[in-house]
This record gives sequence, structure tokens and C-alpha cells, in this order.
Amino acid sequence: MVASRKLMSIRRDWRERDVRVVLAALMIAVATVATIALFASQLQRTLVSSASSFLAADRQLEAENGRPIPDAWLAEAQNRQLETGQMVEFSTMVFGADTFQLVSIKAVSNEYPLRGQVEYQLGPDEPRQLVSSGPGPGEVWINPRLLRLLDTSVGDTLEVGNLELEISGLLVREPDGGFRLSALAPRVMMHADDVPDTGVIQEGSRVEYVYLFAGEEAALEGYYRWLQPQLEPSHEWEGVRDGETFSRSLERAERFLLLGGSLAVMLAAVAVAVASRQYALSQRDTVALLKTLGVSSQGIGRLYLQRLGLWGLAGAVGGLVIALPLYWLLSRLLSDVLERPVDYQLDPAALAPSLLTALVSLFAFAYPPIRRLRNVPAMRVLRSQPGESGREALPDLIVALVAIFGLVWMYAGEVSLVLALLGGLILLLGTLALLGWLMVLGLRRISGGGNAWRLALVGLYRHRRASLSQIAVFAMTLMLAATLILVRTSLLADWQAQLPENTPNHFLINIAPDVVKDVDAFWQDRGQPLDQLYPMVRGRFTELNGEPVKEAVSKDERVGALNRELNLTWMESLPADNEIVEGEWFSPGETRGVSVEAELAEKLGLKVGDELTFTIGSEKVTEAVTSIRTVQWDSMKPNFYMAFPPGGGLEEMPATWITSFYLSPGNKNALNEFSRQYPTISVLEIDHIIERIQDIVRQVTQAIEAILALILAAALVVMAAVVSATLRDRQREGALLRTLGGRQSLLVRSTMLEFALLGLFAGVLGVTAAEAAVWTLQFRMFEGEFQWHWAIVLPIPLLSAVVLALFGRWQLRPVLNVSPMLLLRRLE
Amino acid sequence: MNEPMLKVSDLTHRVSLETDTLTILQGVSLEINRGESVAIVGRSGSGKTTLLGLLAGLDTPTEGTVELDGAVISKLSEDERARLRAQRVGFVFQSFQLLPALTALENVMLPLELGGHEAPEKKARELLERVGLGERLTHTPRQLSGGEQQRVAIARAFASDPVVLFADEPTGNLDNRTGQAVSDLLMALNHEQGTTLVMVTHDEHLAVRCGRQFSIEAGVLTEPDTRTDEEPVI
Repeated sequence: MVASRKLMSIRRDWRERDVRVVLAALMIAVATVATIALFASQLQRTLVSSASSFLAADRQLEAENGRPIPDAWLAEAQNRQLETGQMVEFSTMVFGADTFQLVSIKAVSNEYPLRGQVEYQLGPDEPRQLVSSGPGPGEVWINPRLLRLLDTSVGDTLEVGNLELEISGLLVREPDGGFRLSALAPRVMMHADDVPDTGVIQEGSRVEYVYLFAGEEAALEGYYRWLQPQLEPSHEWEGVRDGETFSRSLERAERFLLLGGSLAVMLAAVAVAVASRQYALSQRDTVALLKTLGVSSQGIGRLYLQRLGLWGLAGAVGGLVIALPLYWLLSRLLSDVLERPVDYQLDPAALAPSLLTALVSLFAFAYPPIRRLRNVPAMRVLRSQPGESGREALPDLIVALVAIFGLVWMYAGEVSLVLALLGGLILLLGTLALLGWLMVLGLRRISGGGNAWRLALVGLYRHRRASLSQIAVFAMTLMLAATLILVRTSLLADWQAQLPENTPNHFLINIAPDVVKDVDAFWQDRGQPLDQLYPMVRGRFTELNGEPVKEAVSKDERVGALNRELNLTWMESLPADNEIVEGEWFSPGETRGVSVEAELAEKLGLKVGDELTFTIGSEKVTEAVTSIRTVQWDSMKPNFYMAFPPGGGLEEMPATWITSFYLSPGNKNALNEFSRQYPTISVLEIDHIIERIQDIVRQVTQAIEAILALILAAALVVMAAVVSATLRDRQREGALLRTLGGRQSLLVRSTMLEFALLGLFAGVLGVTAAEAAVWTLQFRMFEGEFQWHWAIVLPIPLLSAVVLALFGRWQLRPVLNVSPMLLLRRLE
Repeated sequence: MNEPMLKVSDLTHRVSLETDTLTILQGVSLEINRGESVAIVGRSGSGKTTLLGLLAGLDTPTEGTVELDGAVISKLSEDERARLRAQRVGFVFQSFQLLPALTALENVMLPLELGGHEAPEKKARELLERVGLGERLTHTPRQLSGGEQQRVAIARAFASDPVVLFADEPTGNLDNRTGQAVSDLLMALNHEQGTTLVMVTHDEHLAVRCGRQFSIEAGVLTEPDTRTDEEPVI
């Protein structure tokens, strides 16, 4: 047994090309899964914490009724080990040197912000600083624009009500400045303790108290369960999962990474399967010899099981050795984007799938052909026995397919992804079977003739079994790679389309009806035309089909729309990026009906025909749902849950107007003039946020490219596995052809042609299957529209033909430069 | 009958090893006439297979010349040698050298297609029937016994109507009876086609069936006086 164990040593294994391919494939599978799982889990954490920093906390409780919440609520939160903080927001006039200005004040407690950081500077030309607190008592930080509006400077005093406060800094960015339309510009930030002394807040003042909570997810959930029954309609509990543009981008990136990872695993699995089958074939003589020497079938089984275990260990360790630095690099990239350190954390929950991948790859793909080595007859030593017919491989294929889809499912957690890929593969295999049949039918007629074309076609026919399985593997590889490239391309295009060059980066809110035209003209004159202007009426959705809505709707309490006032609007035509999914848009002249946003309609179970009643002030408006439409929330344009037709009951209600527009950085000064001219109109500046999202998209794209590189490496390993599987046969054939008088040039041309044809078939099939898979994916995962991707459909088959032709040429190399006699001896 | 098919003068072949040079053939000269059958007998390692390779133009000698059917092999380029092989030379190997992926029929068609033959399948079929394998056309080498594989190889060797056939231990891998049958077939076909036969073997019984025998030892070729003007034994 010592000798046989020596025969089985892993060092000896390493010298075998097939084993090297198996190990390389295993390592790539483990490395890809580990890198992506680690990075995705970090992305997830980052996503939550980034979204949290948009709230300056993990959760916010807003009291829109102008009254603070009971102290007991805060005490309970603290009991539950939650951090708490407090903000008070209100609008007031402030006085500078000798002029006054309406501002939006945000008074923050010492704890603010619980998440994220405040960016401020000591003067217009001073460097920006990130701090984890607001201004201290007696100080204010103000929007830089206020300096000019109030004709004041840092160090001067600002009068807020009865109190004089020192302007100690300029507020550049607040973590929770986000997309809140209620924020009234320009902003002044002060300390909460100073608020009572200002005397600004009186009974009946329009004030919003906002409470911040942060802590363990479970504690937050528990607290909300405790709090929820006591909340009033004017209280709004806000979480991080409210689909901000930023988190949507990251979510898509995460999905893409998971998809990429799944594809890499599939590719690596194919490589493992091909290489281990080849390895098993090459081991048959050894096994026969061992049996002759008295090793039992069980003994053989054990020996190979042991070495499989060793490979698994080597693959897993090697894979992790590759993965960890890669993950480190990716998290560095992420921390660059976010401009803050991200924790380099080895999440064991993320490492488990990679080890499972190694295990499954080994036992579902490598083990079956190796297990059959037990059945090799000892007689083989004396006389060559018939080989495998390929029929035994059928159960292997089924096991492999089940395993692969199990893996992808476990890994990406998307049934639709699994189905799309399965569909693509079935299409591929079906087409392949048809193609094989046609090939046998068509090519059989070709024979004779010494030209390269005919020889190539005859060659394809001759090696039909090998050709078909090579086409299958190459096509599969190309399908997976093409799917990934297509999805990547459409993902990036999606992002770019989402935030195109002139994405609106400013909102104008609270425009009084009588100045709408003037405001439009103001910006028209300055070459920065406004997008569509929408009227906005604040109203609460109170009744559904005559019943109070809270009773009529299922008890899903998370529907914030029921707890707060909604922005209602009327519009004549459907915004370009909205889409009707049910019912019909208002016909011209129609004054009745309401169009509801699709997600809200789904959450509340609203259908076309339902009667909705809105309470606006003391008035009620009731309309039937006439259409349900999707909305691009991340379009950076005003979006509405409820849209009414013009001329309806809403028009009699007090409305203000809202719009968004793109303001180029060079024109930023026009804002001062505008604010002076229209002091009551709020300007919401979101250019920072847009820049940041664009940054993130750019950097996440880089991460995606890194993953793509890993996947292409997997594809190359597959190619190597397949080529190495037929290398010996091809070389023997080349040698013999030369002995029989084949000219080198003929040999080269016919082989290259044969491989080019193979590559072309594989390319066409792979691309078609990829389009089929993407067609499915596009709808389900990435919400895009399908179209043929000519930029890929055409070049990939050509490229694959060229690459395979070169592969063919390359593998002929040893055949061409050596005398045929030497070759035949060597290959004997 | 007396014009030389193969003319070898002063052939020497050396191979460089890491430390020194090994002389495999030393000053070999011989002439073989058209239609003759010649056996080269020697022990393993005597250089006989190397000589066969050089005669057939599979390799080029270090010194000396080989003239095959009027063409000086060492002066030809690799492609010209290939063309010469395709048109005028057939081979039979000890280990058959059939391509495992191809059927018997396809293996025989191979040289015909390389030579641009018009109806390769028809001719290959006839040849396989001639060697008694008409029923085994679609079988791959793995499904054939050693003797059957060698018969396919013989059919392939005659497929391109060669003027000279080189056989390297054609019965070396076969048992006595099968070897006998295979050599019978080889001799008969050779006679029918009027091919010049050059055979390398260590089997004296096979060697005496050829018109002339040479023996080779340590790279030196000698011709014992065995030349007969009689027809060779078939």
C-alpha cells in the first residue's frame, strides 16, 4: 500500500495536466464565490449604513403635529439600549447685518448625527471638514448662500428670534439632507438647547420634531413593535429600506455581483467536470494495474476518495488565498467611494458558501467519473477493453445540472435567475442536438478532395462526438460570458440613463400659483429651463370605498402613505417615464378619476374602480381609481403617488407648485438672486447627492469589472480543460497525417478551419442562448426592455472562431516542428 | 526490374544527447530495386527502425543521401517530402497507428483524402473487403482485435497505390497465428500490386519470406549472401 499511496500522492498529481486544471477550476470557483460573497455582505452592510446616514440614524420618528413625543417613549428606547437623538425643524425669519431672510432651521441635540457625518467649513475658502456633531450652543452653521443673502460673514452674529448666535461655520452637507422635500431652504443649523430661548416656537407654530434612533436591528424592531400601537397618524416611523436612489444602485450592483458569481461557479464547475473526466480516463491503466496487484474495488474507491478530499482541501485553501487580497482590494475601493473607512470583516456566513461550492463542485462534478474507476476490469492490463460509451455519463449530467442549479439558487437566491439560466441551457442543448443531427446528415455527404475546406468539414464529421461536446462546452462558456457582458452593459446603460448628464439637481418647492409664470421665465432667461411644473396639494388618504382606510386596508402597518399627508397633483399628460400598468390615462377633457402609483396600489390592494377619499384641510375629495401607473422614483424629478386630471375637484384646493431643473455649476450664483426675488420659494439642492451617486456608480463599475476578470479567467480554464482533453488525440492525428503525406500548410489550414467552424457554431449558439437568458433576466431582475444586442451578437461568434482557430494552430505546434517519426514514437 | 527504387549511400545518423553524441547508423549503403522485397533484421536498439524512418523520409540523416524513386530525400523540403509520401509511400507500423476516433473505413480513407482522391470511400471499402473486413467498416479500432487492426492498417497502407511500402515490425504485436495471417496478407497484396517492400523485423521467419535480407547491428548494415533470383515465398 505504501507504493500505491505514493502513486496517489498529491505532488505526483500536480504533475498531471488534468489535475492541475481541476485544482485551478476549484480555486477559481472558491475564490470567486468567497470574494463576491464577502464583498456582497459588506455591500449589504454598507448599504444599510449608508442609507442610515441619509437618515442620520437607523430609524427616524417624525412628529408632524408640532408637539414633542412623550418622554416615556424616549426613555423606553434608551432602556432597550438604543441611542437616541433629537432634531427640531421649523421656518423663521433671521436677521443678519442689516437684512432679513426666511430660513429653514434645524436644531439638533448633542447626539446628532447618530449615523453619517456633517460636512462643514470655517469659511468660504476653508477646507471642508467632516464632523460627527452639529454646532454647539450659542453657535450656528449656515448655508453658504446665506452669506450673500444676508450680506454677512463667518464670525458675525445671526439673530434668531430673541437670541443672537455666532455664525461659526458654513454648512456644506448634512447627512440627512437627502431628498426631503419638506426641507425649506436655505438651511441654518443650531443647537437644540438654544431653541426655547429664541422664543420662536409658539403654540400652533408649524414645527416638526424628529427623533433619531440607532442600535441593533432586533432592538429597533422590538422597539417599533412596542411603539407602534401608540403612534398617531401624524407620527411617521421611517426606516432605511425606503428605496433611495443610492441604495437602488447598490442593490443592482449586488445583484449583478451575485449573478456574476453564479456564472463563474457554473464555468468552474464545467471545467472541473471536463478535467476530472479526462483524468479518470487517464487513470484507467493505473487502476487496472493496481487491481492486478491485488487492490480491491473498495480499496480503489477509497484511494480516489482520499485524493478528492485532498484536492478539495487544496482548492479551498488556494481559493481563499486568492480571495482574501481581492476582497481587501474591493473593500478599499468601496471605502474610497464612501470617503470613510469600511470594516474589513470576514463574515463567516459569507465564507460558508465558498466552501460549500468547493464541496459540491468536487462531489457533483469531479466524483462521478472518478467513482466509476472502481469498475475498470483488471483484464485491461492485458488487453485494451472497450471504453465508456458516454451513456454512463448521462446520470452524471443530471446530477451536475441539479447541483449547479442548487448552487446558483443557494447563492443568488433568485428562482428567476435559476430559471433563466436553465432555460438558456436547455435551449442550447436542444439546438445542439438538432445541430448534431444536421451535421451528421450534411457532412456525411462530403468526402474526398485534398483541399483544406473539405478536410476541415470531413474532420468535423469524423470527430462528431468530440466536436459536439466541444461545441457544447464552448457554447456554454460563451453563453455565460455573453450573459454577463450583456447584463453588465445594460446595467451600466441603465445607470447612465438613470442619471444622465443633465439630471435635474435642484428642486423648487412651494411656488405660489401667481408667480409660477414668472419663476419659469426667470430660469428661462438664464438658460436653465425648468422641467415640468406640477401643482401640489397636501392631503391625507382617509377612506377607501366609503370605509375608513385604516380598517379597509389590510393590517400592513408599514405603509407610511397612510400615516402622513400625501402630495397630490393634477396633470394633463402622463410623465414620459411613468407607465400605465392597469386602466387608462385620463382622456382629454376628463375631470374625474385618479391615477395611483403601482407599488402603493399593490401594498394597499387598490384596484381600478375603487373609490378613494382624500381629506384636504377640512374638505373631502372622492374619486374612483382610473389607472395604475409605475413611477421612476430615482428620476430626480417630482413624482406623485396620486395624480388627478386637470379641472377636477383638486383644483379648488390651495396648491403650491413644484418643479426640478438642472442648474450648471457655473450658474449657481443665480440661486442667490432667485432666493432674494422669491424668498418664499424653497430651493432644494441635491447636486452633491447626484455627484455622489455618480461616483458610486463609477466605482462599483470598477468592482464589477474586477469580477468580470475573474469570470473570464474561469472561462479560460474551461477552454484549457477542453483543449487538454483532446490534445493527445489531435497531436497523434497530426503526426499520422504528416506521416501519411499531409503537407504542413494543408494540416494547418484544415485544422484552423475546423476549429474556426467549431468556434463559429459555438459562438452563434452561445450568443443565442445568452440572449434568451438575458431576455428573461432583463424583465425579472433588472427591469429593462429587451432588444437584440448586435454589438455582441455579431462579434462574439467571429471572435470565438478566431480564438479557436488560433487554439487549433497552437495545439498543432509540437506536431509541426518535429520529425513525424519522433512524434509517433513519443505518442506511442 | 533492375532500376533502383531506393538508393542509399554512406548514410550516417547521430543524435545529440545531453552529454555526448550517439551514433545510431554508421555508413549505411544499399540499393533496392523496384518490386523487390527486402527485410532488415536486427535486435532491439540496433537502429533498424531509425533506418526505416530515414528511408521513408520521415526524418533526414546527419550525413549521406537517400534517393527514393529518383528523388533525393535530404534535398527536399518538409512539404515536398510529405507530397512524396502521400503519392508514393505506404506504411505499416508495429503498433498499427490507427486513429481511435475514426472507424475502420475512415482510417483507410485518410490517405486517400489527403491525396485528393476522387472517390475515397469506394476505394477504402474495396480495400477493406480485400483484407477481409468488409463487415467491420463502421467499427472503431477499440472494437477490433490486434490482427484486425493491423489488417486495417495494411488496407490503409495500400490505399494510395504506393510504389514502396515500409513495414516496421508488422507482426511484432501479434501472436504467431495472427502474425502469420497478417504477413500472408501483406505479402500477397505486395505481390498483387507490384510494390517494393522494405520491412524491418526481428522475426527470422518473416524475414526469409522476403527476396533479400539485410542484418543490422550497432548501426552497421550487412547483407549476407542470400540474394536469390527466384520468386519470393508467398
